[in-house]
Amino acid sequence: MGIVLSNIIAIYRRELQSYFTSPLAYAIAGVFWFIAGLFFVMILLGPDGILAAVTAIDLQGQQLGVPVPPIDVPYEFIRAFLDRMGWLLLFILPILSMGLYAEERKRGTLELLATSPVTNWAVAVGKLLGVLTFFTTMVLPLLLFEAIAISGSNPPMSPLIPLLGNLGLILLAAAILSLGMFISSLTESTILSAVLTFALVLLLLFVDLIAKSIGGPVGAALSHLSLLKHYNTLIQGIFDTSALILFASYIFLGIFLTAQSIDALRFQRQ
Amino acid sequence: MKTIKRKKIWQYLFLFGPFLFVVGLTSGLVSGNWGAISLAFLIAGIVISGLWLLWQSQKSNWWKSRSTQAGTNALVAILAVLVILGLINFLGTRYHLRADLTEAQLFTLAPQSQELVRGLQQPVKIWIFDVNRNSQDQELLENYQRQSSNFRFEYVDPQARPGLAEKFGVKDYGEVYLESGDKRQLVQTVNENERLSEVRLTNRLQQITTSTTAKVYFLQGHGEHPISTGEGGISQATQGLSDKNYTTSPLNLTENPKVPEDAAVVVVAGPKRELFDAEVKALQNYLDGGGNVLLMIDPNTDPKLNNLLQEWGVRLDNRLAVDVSGAGVGLGPAAPIITDYGQHPITKDFGQGISFYRLARPLEITPVAGIEATPLLRTKPYPNSWAESDLQSEKLEFNSDQDLKGPLTLGVALDKKLSAKAQSIPTLTTSPSPSPTSEGQASPTPTTSPLPSPTPEAQTSPTPPTEEKSEQPATEARLVVLGNSDFATNGLFQQQLNGDVFLNSVTWLSQQNQQLLSIRPKEPNNRRINLTNVQASFLTLSSLLFLPLIGLVTAAVIWWRRR
Repeated sequence: MGIVLSNIIAIYRRELQSYFTSPLAYAIAGVFWFIAGLFFVMILLGPDGILAAVTAIDLQGQQLGVPVPPIDVPYEFIRAFLDRMGWLLLFILPILSMGLYAEERKRGTLELLATSPVTNWAVAVGKLLGVLTFFTTMVLPLLLFEAIAISGSNPPMSPLIPLLGNLGLILLAAAILSLGMFISSLTESTILSAVLTFALVLLLLFVDLIAKSIGGPVGAALSHLSLLKHYNTLIQGIFDTSALILFASYIFLGIFLTAQSIDALRFQRQ
Repeated sequence: MKTIKRKKIWQYLFLFGPFLFVVGLTSGLVSGNWGAISLAFLIAGIVISGLWLLWQSQKSNWWKSRSTQAGTNALVAILAVLVILGLINFLGTRYHLRADLTEAQLFTLAPQSQELVRGLQQPVKIWIFDVNRNSQDQELLENYQRQSSNFRFEYVDPQARPGLAEKFGVKDYGEVYLESGDKRQLVQTVNENERLSEVRLTNRLQQITTSTTAKVYFLQGHGEHPISTGEGGISQATQGLSDKNYTTSPLNLTENPKVPEDAAVVVVAGPKRELFDAEVKALQNYLDGGGNVLLMIDPNTDPKLNNLLQEWGVRLDNRLAVDVSGAGVGLGPAAPIITDYGQHPITKDFGQGISFYRLARPLEITPVAGIEATPLLRTKPYPNSWAESDLQSEKLEFNSDQDLKGPLTLGVALDKKLSAKAQSIPTLTTSPSPSPTSEGQASPTPTTSPLPSPTPEAQTSPTPPTEEKSEQPATEARLVVLGNSDFATNGLFQQQLNGDVFLNSVTWLSQQNQQLLSIRPKEPNNRRINLTNVQASFLTLSSLLFLPLIGLVTAAVIWWRRR
């Protein structure tokens, strides 16, 4: 057990090192930050942003002398922002996950990994942890921005809901990355891996719509597979164990399938 | 040659396997029911594919090679993991922990609704005749469904199932029906602007599961607010009552100066002219016999009810209640805002909620033996509110010689126990102690008491015992006096807690303990974000400029170094 753990940590460190010394990773982070920042500013401060809209409603209410219906601005803001972030993940994460195994395959280091004494499990877990850590680092500055925005709320808002929402974001990312890792282990081409991951994630996001048109128990089961549905539950501020279990299932499934696919590779090469 | 050819044809025939499978699957999915035809296609497809597999394996012996064995192992493992994950998720949805972390509990049902749905004795089904499913509605219905397996809901396209739509009498998209046993009832029509409301659904649910209706009479003839739509009417209030299973009708006491027997509550909503003595007498008699009256009397009117009110220890003050604290939210000084409520069943759920009363008169209450008086609505203390006597002067200010300092009482609930002689012979009754309306505490514990229970579970409307047919006579008379009637008129009724003040008053008056008190629609906290300019520009600059630049510049530097 201890060996497996130290193996995981070794892989994890190797992965992290490769991220923090890779210009591509920084470029992805830069683009991600720019788009996320754009969302942030547009939703909060922009001319059609939530602050401007609410100020307009308040003014109108004052002029007409009608009490304004209650609006929870920080809550609505966090929800809208995290909702857009969920969509952004769809485009960013396949790029992060595409190289996980495909790159190794291309460079020919996959054989080393596959035949090394480190189990495929440990490799997959280490790689996933690495890319997830990198993603979390990308999210951290945004968390700081959110905190600044919420600190201005009056009366103050408890940080519970934003925290749950961001946890949902990380979980969603982990699920997508895990599946992306599996797809990356199937192919040598990073582009193909990114495209396939994108398609799969798109399907998992939209399975809810398909399920609605089917209805019945089949529809209910299909709609449970939807990533977006459970992500929405969490960012609304509802803590639901079934959502957590679903995300955990996706993460586990991704790791398991990756290990299986590398296993198959090891066998083929023998 | 011949055999080879035949074999080749056979080979192509096996392509029918997947084809038939897909046909069966599509026909089943599209038609929505898995009838004999689609099942036949599916089975034929599976059989042909299976035969192909068998044939292939016989031809090449591939299952004996090692790679196949390993592949099969992997396949079995993957299938097993999928099944296990599916089961875990299935159990996860069945036995899950769900906590609503929003501060206003936006996604949780009111305790009243929860209690009602949990106590459902027979299956209840909600039919929504609509094609598009609103996620918000669905979430609400799922919340109900989680409480009890007796609650179900289904979306139906009225075009696709015209027979069912006709059975319910559906006229338009978006109609929501409630079905319980053989009873069907329209709940509401949902559309873009109006989503499914918990208040309506719960009340309809209660209506359909309990069968009592109580009658509320509105006195007419002296300039009272009419029971009609439009400005000054109180149709929204009567609609609110009928949503809570009351029937409402106007009452004219000039033709027959006696309150009808079936009256649960008589409402006198803002009379502008005086009542005849005979009418006042009729109300008095009604109260003496265990009646329930809601009086809403505006300032600058004298309905000549002073005799009646005097008996109960209430005096109508002729001054006008003034509250200067409401200017910030756009309410003038003549519209006092109430946030201070008495400890009473009518107001117990209000907390710090707001209700407001345009042009209200204060009440003066003197204790009378045998009558329990609870002030319901209290204005803010003095510097903010007082009773103004001089309405002619331009400037509103407090004159200590004529005006009365706040806090003022704008509403009072009174409760008079009737003396034993007015009642019918006490009979040995087994009555469950009335359970409180909300929170679901205290399951009803049957107690055998030789006396009628102090608060009867009024199955029938309380009627004067002298002419009674009911088994459980009223043992008390109830009166609510409010110094304003404007708050319950159309338009103002729906604002803040105004409607609840009215509906809860009538509910309490009707002495129907099993009636739910009003549920507030869920409202989010009212919160704003106040960012300083420095904060705003810091956020804009750092999120749009500095942070992305850090990423891109680092990328460029590393790339340059590597070169």
